[in-house]
Amino acid sequence: MRGYLDTLKVIALIALRNLFASRLKTLIVGGIILFGSLLVVVGTALVDSVDASMSRSVIGSVAGHIQVYSSKSKDELTVMGGMNMESPDLTPIDDFAALRRTLLGVPNVKAVVPMGLSSAIVTAGNTVDVVLERLRDLARRRLAGEDVQAAYESEKDHVRQIIKVLSADMDNVRKIQNEKAISQDDLAAAAKAASEELWAGFDRDPYPALEFLENRIAPLASDADMLFLRYLGTDGDAFAKSFDRMKIVDGTAIPRGQRGFLFSKWVYEQQVKLKTALRLDRINDGISKRSKTIARSEELQRWIKQNVTEVKEIMLQLDGQKTASFRRLLQGELGSQQSDVAKLLSEFFRVDDANFAHRYRFFYDKLAPQLELYRVRVGDMLTIKSFTRSGYVQSVKLRVYGTFVFEGLEDSHIAGELNLMDMVSFRELYGSLTPERAREVQEIKTMAGMKEVSREQAEAELFGKPDLGETAPIGRAGDEAEAVLRSLAGRQQREDRASQPYDPAQLEQGDVLNAAVIVKDPRRISRTIKDIEAAGAKAGIPLRAITWQKASGLVGQFVTMIRAVLYISVLIIFAVALVIINNALVMATLERMPEIGTLRAIGAQRRFLLGMLLVEALAVGVLFGSLGALLGAGIVGVIGAAGIPASNDILYFLFSGPRLHPSLSPANVIISLAIVLAVSAISSIYPGLLAMRVSPRQAMQSDD
Amino acid sequence: MNHIVSVSNVSKNYNLGQVVVPALRGVSLDVAEGEFLAIAGPSGSGKTTLLNLVGCVDTPSAGTVTVDGKQTGQLSERDLTRLRLHTIGFIFQSFNLVSVLSVLQNVELPLLLQRALSARERRERVLALLDRVGIREYSKHRPSELSGGQRQRVAIARALVTRPKLVLADEPTANLDSVTGTNILNLMKELNQSEKTTFIFSTHDARVWAYASAVVRLADGQVQDRVSAEEAVRAGGLPTGRPV
Ligand SMILES: Nc1ncnc2c1ncn2[C@@H]1O[C@H](COP(=O)(O)OP(=O)(O)OP(=O)(O)O)[C@@H](O)[C@H]1O
Ligand SMILES: [Mg+2]
Repeated sequence: MRGYLDTLKVIALIALRNLFASRLKTLIVGGIILFGSLLVVVGTALVDSVDASMSRSVIGSVAGHIQVYSSKSKDELTVMGGMNMESPDLTPIDDFAALRRTLLGVPNVKAVVPMGLSSAIVTAGNTVDVVLERLRDLARRRLAGEDVQAAYESEKDHVRQIIKVLSADMDNVRKIQNEKAISQDDLAAAAKAASEELWAGFDRDPYPALEFLENRIAPLASDADMLFLRYLGTDGDAFAKSFDRMKIVDGTAIPRGQRGFLFSKWVYEQQVKLKTALRLDRINDGISKRSKTIARSEELQRWIKQNVTEVKEIMLQLDGQKTASFRRLLQGELGSQQSDVAKLLSEFFRVDDANFAHRYRFFYDKLAPQLELYRVRVGDMLTIKSFTRSGYVQSVKLRVYGTFVFEGLEDSHIAGELNLMDMVSFRELYGSLTPERAREVQEIKTMAGMKEVSREQAEAELFGKPDLGETAPIGRAGDEAEAVLRSLAGRQQREDRASQPYDPAQLEQGDVLNAAVIVKDPRRISRTIKDIEAAGAKAGIPLRAITWQKASGLVGQFVTMIRAVLYISVLIIFAVALVIINNALVMATLERMPEIGTLRAIGAQRRFLLGMLLVEALAVGVLFGSLGALLGAGIVGVIGAAGIPASNDILYFLFSGPRLHPSLSPANVIISLAIVLAVSAISSIYPGLLAMRVSPRQAMQSDD
Repeated sequence: MNHIVSVSNVSKNYNLGQVVVPALRGVSLDVAEGEFLAIAGPSGSGKTTLLNLVGCVDTPSAGTVTVDGKQTGQLSERDLTRLRLHTIGFIFQSFNLVSVLSVLQNVELPLLLQRALSARERRERVLALLDRVGIREYSKHRPSELSGGQRQRVAIARALVTRPKLVLADEPTANLDSVTGTNILNLMKELNQSEKTTFIFSTHDARVWAYASAVVRLADGQVQDRVSAEEAVRAGGLPTGRPV
């Protein structure tokens, strides 16, 4: 044993001295190995960290560990990050209670959250419409003798202000584009709205003028943006409990047993907020979070330009009083004598790096309190229209209870694109036959003295044809019932009912499209998936269970992709390293033929030489591999302390927050060293064989 | 008398592509223990080839070579290596020291390969031997820092450190000046006398023959004759009559 160690020592000695003798070659080979192992350590540490943070994001926001849906579904389920806005076509699972029971029977399952994904286009009132409605109301009350003179005058003033703004805007468009950009009809309508004739008789008989304004002027404002909302129907309580990163920002959660809607804060900001304010926020973020400057960022400059030109959005909100207030505030702030508020606003929004911070504060402190910053406020009723499964437009009126975020993912649109809705309203929009509706259908049938109402009859009576002509009706009880409801009960009735509470037990009884499963031990997900599918089959609920990676679509696969890229580059680097080490050793072997021959002649066995080359390769590998790993660990440490800023919202989601703080795990270093050792060992095989073939006669033939 | 080496009717052919070069043709030779045998002959006569066969780094095309009672043609590569390690010491014309090792490490190398002695024993033996060949003070030097004669002394020490029965030297003085060459020969002869180690060396230097117990003269791959040193010296030249 001792002798063995001593032999090893002499092998090592010869090997190391040889390495030192050919320093340059050793350094080149070592450099490649160093870089390779550094890449492995840093790369795997980064990817692991992204993987961990992203899985936190995905699991903690909507997906849970496992998503479950009916295996009869046409499409595959993705709950987030889908490229198209279409929700996947899933076959509902009829009885959530049974599903929950089945799932909770599987060993590793901790909680089950019912879900359904859909989307709708929602019209959030046009400013002019809203103002005109207020004026109509005030005019009616004034004529009825109420004391609303002041408010009435102010609102009237506001409408005239709006007309001025719209006219000026049309003039602008004609100037910038061409004479024909605005139709003669619209111009005439604007002129009439501004005319004294229209307003002279207004106090006496406001209704014809109001009708004209509503029909001809309101549409000109065209700020009635459509909100495109993706929403998740769920059991609010179960959702909040299982996804504990969810936090209410404004308002409250949807109370138990109430129908309601929660905006994702992200959607609320991006879609509902006053565009000017949103752009100011973005500029502020760009400067404070991403250290951009207005002077150098074209993006910020573009937003500023939009704010400067698009002041109409704010102007429409200003009545006489506010116009005066704005004029005074802006003149003071800008030190200007300009009296045109639109010009003052433009001037105010023309910011630069020096004055931005101040103006941003001024906007929120002084101007914003007089504006409606959000088109839909917490507490408002929101009418959501959506196509049911069978192709009818269904609409539900829901109270907006508040807004929410997933903590740490506030700025991510991937986590923020989904809004929440109670499951019962979701089912209604989706066109499920809820027990409540089944009862209603029954009542109506009895009332009408009918046994059966055919779809055709119902449609003929009310619509003439379905809203989606090509959708083939499915012969389900629900569809029949829906037709009946439409023809006999009407929409209004159900919208009213939508603001009434429901029995929480209803949540359990109805159908769901999918369900999120939270597990106890996340390491056993794949096993649990098999168990769930087996349990489903046994319970007669054919289920498909997928991991959160799959459920999160492209986002979930992102890390897999990055990992693949990393592994491929590591593979390439080490393939190169292998070839170079191999070549270096082959050259060294050829150069040392006489020496090798001598060693053989004086009694060294072949394996001694093999060992010598192996030690040589391993020594380079271990030395430079460790150096690389050490350097890599240092880099990961530095990056980990400083954090990598998430420069866009996809990164924000992947990092599960504004910065990624990667950390090193022993596995990263072990993998790197293992690869280095393997590569070194493999690369010494061929030169080893060469060395073994060197004859001891070589020693004799060195005659020089 | 005991024969440490017995070469019997040996032929050795080298294949150079299509051409077969006969390097040895029916050589027979017995070497007794303790001999100090010179192999003489002109260039290309087969001296190195013969030493290779005796030194177990090559095997004959025909005939048998027996070293220390073992017939080399029947040994495996491993066994041949072992025989070299334990029974034979080599001294090369160009010394063939491992350049990256110190003098001491070079000499210690065969002992390490043998794995028989402890580190202390090895060290003692190596230093004693270095003392004996007169380069003890250079034990820490690298071969490149030594003169040719000093290097050859290291090579001799390395060949003798395992106390082999047989030492083979292929033209040990060819790369040395005549004074150094004489010193080396004196040293070899001394060791031959004191340790009773058998030496076989090749040379075409006539002055070297005087040291030999016998001279085997080769020509064209055949043994010309085997004469005493005096005879060889008296003949004053190589078997072909050409003086060197
Ligand atoms: N590896 C080999 N391949 C082919 N021919 C060889 C080889 N080694 C030796 N020979 C040939 O065998 C013959 C004997 O060569 P050897 O080296 O034994 O002669 P030598 O007496 O040692 O000569 P020198 O005094 O020049 O060293 C020569 O003709 C030589 O060309
Ligand atoms: Mg020769």
